[in-house]
Amino acid sequence: MIKIHLDPRTKLFMIFAVSFIVMVNAVSPMEWAVRIIVTLIPVFLLANEGRYVSALRFLLCYGAALFLLKYYISAESTGVLSALLVGYCGIVAQFMPAMIMAWYVIHTTKIGEFMSAMQKMHVPDGISVSLAVVMRFFPTIKEEYLSINDAMKMRGISFAGGRITKMIEYRLVPLMFSCLNIGEELSAAAVTRGLGAPVRRTSPVQLKLKAADWLMIAVFAASMILFVISKYFR
Amino acid sequence: MIEIKNVNFRYKGSDEGSLEDLSLTIHDGETVLLCGASGCGKTTVGRLINGLIPHYYKGELTGSATVNGRDIAQTELYDLAGVVGTVFQNPRSQFFAIDTDGEITFGAENIGMPPEDIVSRKNDEAREMHIERLLDRSIFELSGGEKQIIACASVSVLSPDIMVLDEPSSNLDSSAIEKLKTILSDWKSQGKTIIIAEHRLYFLRELADRMLILDNGKIVKELRSDEIRALTFADTERMGIRPLSLADVTYTRENVSKHDEMLTLENYVFTYKDGKHGINIPKLELPTNSIIAIIGHNGAGKSTLARNICGLEKKCKGTLTLGGKTFKAKERLKICYMIMQDVNHQLFTESVRDEVMLSITDKQITDTEKTHRSDEILAQLDLSEYSDKHPMALSGGQKQRTAIASGIASSKPILIFDEPTSGLDLAHMKQVAGEILKLRDMGKTVFIVTHDLEFILSCCDHIVRLEKGQVVENFELNKDTDIRLRQFFTNES
Repeated sequence: MIKIHLDPRTKLFMIFAVSFIVMVNAVSPMEWAVRIIVTLIPVFLLANEGRYVSALRFLLCYGAALFLLKYYISAESTGVLSALLVGYCGIVAQFMPAMIMAWYVIHTTKIGEFMSAMQKMHVPDGISVSLAVVMRFFPTIKEEYLSINDAMKMRGISFAGGRITKMIEYRLVPLMFSCLNIGEELSAAAVTRGLGAPVRRTSPVQLKLKAADWLMIAVFAASMILFVISKYFR
Repeated sequence: MIEIKNVNFRYKGSDEGSLEDLSLTIHDGETVLLCGASGCGKTTVGRLINGLIPHYYKGELTGSATVNGRDIAQTELYDLAGVVGTVFQNPRSQFFAIDTDGEITFGAENIGMPPEDIVSRKNDEAREMHIERLLDRSIFELSGGEKQIIACASVSVLSPDIMVLDEPSSNLDSSAIEKLKTILSDWKSQGKTIIIAEHRLYFLRELADRMLILDNGKIVKELRSDEIRALTFADTERMGIRPLSLADVTYTRENVSKHDEMLTLENYVFTYKDGKHGINIPKLELPTNSIIAIIGHNGAGKSTLARNICGLEKKCKGTLTLGGKTFKAKERLKICYMIMQDVNHQLFTESVRDEVMLSITDKQITDTEKTHRSDEILAQLDLSEYSDKHPMALSGGQKQRTAIASGIASSKPILIFDEPTSGLDLAHMKQVAGEILKLRDMGKTVFIVTHDLEFILSCCDHIVRLEKGQVVENFELNKDTDIRLRQFFTNES
């Protein structure tokens, strides 16, 4: 499959649009149709990155959630089971699409592209550098977290004897120390390479919105307009 | 020219690495090697030159440091970026970008170089350093050696005249060190001034014009290039530094393993998600109660094998047979303990004693007995005085010993070390070797993933060499076989 390459600006707009549409309550079939389309696009992008298993797994969960929402859950449902089901459906149908979109953006955007996009949008360097560091830290946190988990498995304390506070403490404390250390060394390395110079940063990445970008922007803008009209102006 | 005059420096809240009335002049084009034990101040000297002191690391500073006539204390760090370049020890924490191109161009972007120039500089740099194949890759796919080369390129892109390197070889295998050496000699031939703080010295023997040995923040010895080359193993041993030639390091040990049993690893087949890396070991027989070194190039599968022995990869169907019992992955987690390269990942509690007690999982033992036993183990590892301290407040070596102590407390028969001596000076390396020998005396079987020849010669009994995920050599280390080991470390490049 041809890999789709989108402009960071398009991706940011998509995060915004997806979050907006899936979070707002959908009632009419029209709204549901828009919402499902808007959910399927990030899933398609996920598959496009080669994560077929995750995409399929999500589709199954999403299908189940839609089914439950349509046939089992109504505003009048009560009881523990239905509360759990409402929770499940809420997470799968309302949070996951935005999470998938965010994963896609972080996974596919190079720091250089991101910085260039921020510049084109006239965001101050200070803000874009901080955001770039946050993006850079996600994979690092994941790596650190996995090694800490390994260490816990080896000592047989993964569940810390069932005490939830300890379970969290044992994971978070080493993670925070690691991230602090890495952060400190990282900024030392960055300032020796001129970060913070009182000049406008430049970027070798030349961004241009292409057909795929315009298509995505059009689809998401149209979805948002349709959604708003059907929700508030009828 | 770099001039450091009567500098006294003390880090805020720590005596480690402080400088005492240090004066030093470095001429243009000179290659200066700074060495000495950890905490002797060699890193601090580098930081004085690149301006991280006083601009980033705070402390009490008197005296002056000037680079090309500019007073460092009065010059902003971003103005120094094009004058002094710095390569750090740990590739993991010096990368800003997550792709190689972005990393190389980062410095040029910061100083506002026009985009066209940035691209051409990047391409020139890649060509000069022969790293075209590394362009447009994710940082996370690179080996440690490749990362360090990208770090060199990303500094060199601003073409500074002065290069400061802070223990750049710590995480590298011998072939990566060879590449680093090539980069350094290219820089030297371009007339750059190079200041390099290091523990491992052998690759700098031909390059260094001057070697300074520091102790407690003072220069205690200064050697010219001909004197450096004349240094023998006995000389360096006496000065407390690592040898300048690997050919001098020989096997002289008396204290060897008296194992009689064997353990068997069978069917270790494991492939990472990328489908390229992994291990394939049908059968491997090794002596128990011995110290077994796992060697090979970066990416040969050493750490993967260690993780699999430990049982950290559930998917691996391999088994380990020890004393007539066969252990599957999940069961191996109960008999193996790994001391990780970054020990920060395995210290969880609020005091060193708690850390050790956490590993005593036997429910039959009462708390007082646990405390008693922990204190015994801590005494064995010279940690008694720190038993109430927070593990994160300790030095690197003390943290490592704390991790070893919890390994002993867990009473598991197999201990695995992942590069325990990366970035260690001679004295600390010997100390680790001594601790590992103690573990063997307690009856443990110890696996060590390592790149450190001296370390192997000072404690290991057996060698397993991996290449491309397969075992290519498996032999006992003794007077007759140490030549085989040495060949791997010296001839391979």
